[in-house]
Amino acid sequence: MWIPIQINEHSAEPLYHQIENQLRSLIISGQIEEGTLLPSIREFASGLNCSVITVRRVYQDLENEGLLRTKQGTGTFVAKVGEDTRDQYRVTAVQEAIDHAVDVGLSVHLSKEELMRLFTATLNLKYKTDDE
Amino acid sequence: MEQTVIEYRGVRKHRGRKMIGPIDLRIPKGYVIAIVGENGSGKSTMMNMLMQMVIPDEGEISWFGQGELKEMTTEMKQQIAFVPEQTSPEENRWTVDQAVKFRSYWYPDWDSAYYEQLMDRFGVPRDVKLRKLSKGEQRKFEIAAALAARPKLLLLDEPSSGLDPFAWKMMIDELRLFMQGGETTIVMNTHIVDEVKKLADYIVMIHQGQLMGMAEKDSLLDNWKEVWLSTEEEIADDLPGVVSWQRETSTILRVLTTECQALEHTLHEADIQMLKMRGLELDEVLSLWIQGHKPA
Repeated sequence: MWIPIQINEHSAEPLYHQIENQLRSLIISGQIEEGTLLPSIREFASGLNCSVITVRRVYQDLENEGLLRTKQGTGTFVAKVGEDTRDQYRVTAVQEAIDHAVDVGLSVHLSKEELMRLFTATLNLKYKTDDE
Repeated sequence: MEQTVIEYRGVRKHRGRKMIGPIDLRIPKGYVIAIVGENGSGKSTMMNMLMQMVIPDEGEISWFGQGELKEMTTEMKQQIAFVPEQTSPEENRWTVDQAVKFRSYWYPDWDSAYYEQLMDRFGVPRDVKLRKLSKGEQRKFEIAAALAARPKLLLLDEPSSGLDPFAWKMMIDELRLFMQGGETTIVMNTHIVDEVKKLADYIVMIHQGQLMGMAEKDSLLDNWKEVWLSTEEEIADDLPGVVSWQRETSTILRVLTTECQALEHTLHEADIQMLKMRGLELDEVLSLWIQGHKPA
């Protein structure tokens, strides 16, 4: 199977980390379903032009997190993702995005009030709240 | 601990006025190892010594983790397939079919169906004498015959020389498929950067007969980067792994590093912003390495 992972070589994030993060989010978000057989390490590595050392590390890390399991002789499968893991992931993903936005605000010396105003405006726009 | 397929210990060889070695190198099992270096750097001699076609002046080589042996046993030889730079002169008078009959007799794990499939895919004629084949066809035959032997160790000396881009693509695909079994090791001499990029797990650099080291391909690409920093101070020489640097404007400094991960950490501690980053292309990495900038 083909797994949509995009590598950015012009980033400070190491290759294994990029692959790991993307694969994790594909699994937790349910885009790759429980029980799916992942490509062999060599096959996955070939598809990404990276080494088997990198892919093995990704599989091992995600196995330790309980997201993958390996059956001897059969291959590596996607494990069941618990509801709490999924909920936690949703919060973490949003938290990271907010952190990033605040960092950008800080770097251009935006005040806390200005940032709050922008944030509220965006919220209102996207959620189309009733209190408008 | 990873298993070792081949180990060179203090291996030296005089070649005319040139000296190759001392080479100390461990080749781990189950990987694709690309040996790169300029023409005449000693890559082929290294491979020929491994095959015992050239005997080292000093040092020793061990095969498949058997340390005590002076030379390979027949069983060991039957687990190795070799695609040399040139087809052997003894076989030149034979037709493709005759040559393959001889080889299939030699290799106990010979896979005829696989051989036929590869030859069909590569489109090599069978009833023609080897010397009448074009250079590319000879290459294709050699690669098909080497793979069909189902070796534990596959040695390729400039495998793609003479191949057109279509055949080259087929070769890459077939080598990748072949590696999916996971038990095999490929050692490949090459100067084609794309080949290294698409196949290699580890890269070994040889320069003027000297081993410049072995590195994981991805760790090279993760660490060798060009970085633009926001700083007015001349701090380049204090940063990790800096190979060269240049001041772009009064506030922007550009550095080329071989230790990006460490650099990022240092910059973070010092609260210096990275404005932009560019990963070096593999050919840039290799030419810096050959100039003596070793991987961390």
